[in-house]
Amino acid sequence: MGAIHVAGLEKSYGAVDAVDGMEFTVERGELYGFLGPNGAGKTTTIRVLTGQIEPDSGEVSVLETDPTTDPIETRRRVGILPEQESPPSFLTPREYLEFVGEVRNLEAERVAERTDRWAERLGFESKLDTLHTDLSRGQQQKVMIAQAFLHEPDVVFIDEPLANLDPLVQEQVKQFLVSYAAGDNAVFVSTHNIDVAEEICTRVGIVADGQLVTERSVADDGADESLLEVFLDRVEGEDARDTPTLEQLDV
Amino acid sequence: MTGETTDPAGPTGTGRSGSGLSTRRLLAILFREEWRMHTELFGGWRFALFPLVIAALAVGGSVALVETGTASGTVVVGLHVLAAGFGLYSGTAGFAGSDMLENVFGRLSLLLSSSTTLPLSRRRLLGVFLLKDALFYGIAFVLPMALGGAVAEGLSATTPLSLVAFWGSLFLVFTVGMATTVALIAVRTRGVPPWTIGLGIGLAAVGGWALGSGGVLRRLLVPIEGTVPAAGGLAAATLVVAAGSLLLYDPTYGRPSRTATDRFARLSAALPVADSPLVTKSLLDLARSSGGVWKPFVSSTILLALVAALVGVVDSITGVAPAPGIFFGGVLGLSAFTTYNWLTQFDSLEAYLAYPVSIADVFRAKRTAFILVGAPTAVIPYLAAVVWFDATPLDAVVGAVLLAGYALYYYGLTVFIAGFDPNEFLFDAVRFATFTIGVAVALVPTLVAGFVVVPPSLELAAVLVLGGLVMGAVGIVLSSRAGPRWDARYRTE
Repeated sequence: MGAIHVAGLEKSYGAVDAVDGMEFTVERGELYGFLGPNGAGKTTTIRVLTGQIEPDSGEVSVLETDPTTDPIETRRRVGILPEQESPPSFLTPREYLEFVGEVRNLEAERVAERTDRWAERLGFESKLDTLHTDLSRGQQQKVMIAQAFLHEPDVVFIDEPLANLDPLVQEQVKQFLVSYAAGDNAVFVSTHNIDVAEEICTRVGIVADGQLVTERSVADDGADESLLEVFLDRVEGEDARDTPTLEQLDV
Repeated sequence: MTGETTDPAGPTGTGRSGSGLSTRRLLAILFREEWRMHTELFGGWRFALFPLVIAALAVGGSVALVETGTASGTVVVGLHVLAAGFGLYSGTAGFAGSDMLENVFGRLSLLLSSSTTLPLSRRRLLGVFLLKDALFYGIAFVLPMALGGAVAEGLSATTPLSLVAFWGSLFLVFTVGMATTVALIAVRTRGVPPWTIGLGIGLAAVGGWALGSGGVLRRLLVPIEGTVPAAGGLAAATLVVAAGSLLLYDPTYGRPSRTATDRFARLSAALPVADSPLVTKSLLDLARSSGGVWKPFVSSTILLALVAALVGVVDSITGVAPAPGIFFGGVLGLSAFTTYNWLTQFDSLEAYLAYPVSIADVFRAKRTAFILVGAPTAVIPYLAAVVWFDATPLDAVVGAVLLAGYALYYYGLTVFIAGFDPNEFLFDAVRFATFTIGVAVALVPTLVAGFVVVPPSLELAAVLVLGGLVMGAVGIVLSSRAGPRWDARYRTE
């Protein structure tokens, strides 16, 4: 069984089928891109995989834990960077990471050392003692990235990893994600950004209407179609390929 | 004060002001947004029923008070105090972006914030927004309250006229409350520190009390008991304060980012409880947000002052004073609601689901934080009340048991019904009615006993102590079940 395994997953909200028969497996060492339009079922799938909500039916396992029956154990073993903005917290980033460290039973010295390392890596050393609520969105995103990796988990779920980050930090985060996955970990990235998925992911699953409609791996690099073309084909149908690109538009 | 504060459109411009949108049209759009926000948040009919619930409470409460011997004048004063208090609260609503408002309603994307992206004057938009709030709440909330005042005076052929007069009177004090809050916030945006504002309010209150201006204040803030010119003067003064506040308000005000020394690890280590990191986060969030740890004290002190004033009015009119221990013990337990409200302002349950903690863990931590903050918040005003009103030792002890038991009960009731969103009580008819009935079950018999048997007999004391203990136990059970209840709701949504 892979690090993440999903089979026949279904989840609806009232009359809306958010996830409708999702199937995929992610192995250790993979940086898996979960690509799809708004409302495709990406966030719902992540919430099921991290034990935040229960599915209607289907099988899921993460690091051989069942997030449906033992969500705390699943969340203990994985890192999560949620999509939604964090509520206004009046802790400083240093204190917030201490909070995360205590909740995850990490030694204080180790938390302090990793806090300094993450602050240096993402460039928020000067903000370590500023209240989280007063940080810019980009700085808050950096702190949230740090908390997701603080306990060096084997599997990390990330919703839009590069949101609000400046290009320099985006590059650093991309490189980090690639190297982290290469260290025998699984990184699961949900994103709308096709370029990012194509650039860093070892495999990409394209989601539409609550289902995985196709997968593409780096081994397919020589394929005739770009990831964008595959995406448009599977998500919008052949007609979408006729949509003019910016280069084709005659302004 | 930061940057440019010029606002060519003026505070209440009535023209198009270059925005291409007339004030009337803007008002209509803001009304629609307000209605949709409430009906979306609270499920349509549940919000639409809310005015009926308020009307039922106002009428039922007024009739009950009058039938049990309370003078109708006292009821009228009480309704005006409530309307003014609601106005003070409503005045904050126009300042989306302040952490206070965001904490109450979450991150909002109201039309109000569109002045940052569209060519709309922030001052004009704010003025129209506040006007919309005054009219919306004046009709949806203050009008049903007026029914209570009209009924308190007895039904007759002139009741419809009385209703209109009551509504006008209540609406006026409601707008006085709103204008006061808007003025204080406008002053704040000019860099005046909060402690100076607080000191000013405190000095005004103490000065007014020392000069014995209670009668003047009553004539001023209960317009229906005064003359028409006096009410007209109050209305004109309110308009002047509101317009002046909009002129004074600095739309570019931004608070500088704040820093703090690391207190988390030490505080967490010092707390000998399970879930200490979760408790510590709650305590630090409370201490560092606007108003600091004093917020719950201010809430319970306002409750104490309102109840003490009502006791004084009842005493002066009827010559009947309650047993202070029993009376204040029962009422001040309600501070549990405001304390819990403050403790949940900076959290959402969803945010905790990124960590290996259960929703039950989070609720348990909130209960610990509630006890740490809520105990002094309720006990200090209670001690002040029993000393001030000269309670007998037996009365004071019974009141203390009631205070502890009822506070736990009100807390449990709040958590069980509203989970992490106690503010939803404000507009959800079903939850508000359930909470009100739950409170009344404990509070009404206690207040009646407190008024009827003064000082309390040993038998009554024993019954009330037993009641306090039972209610406390019920509160513990309710708060213990809140975790699993809300866990199931969130995970199977």
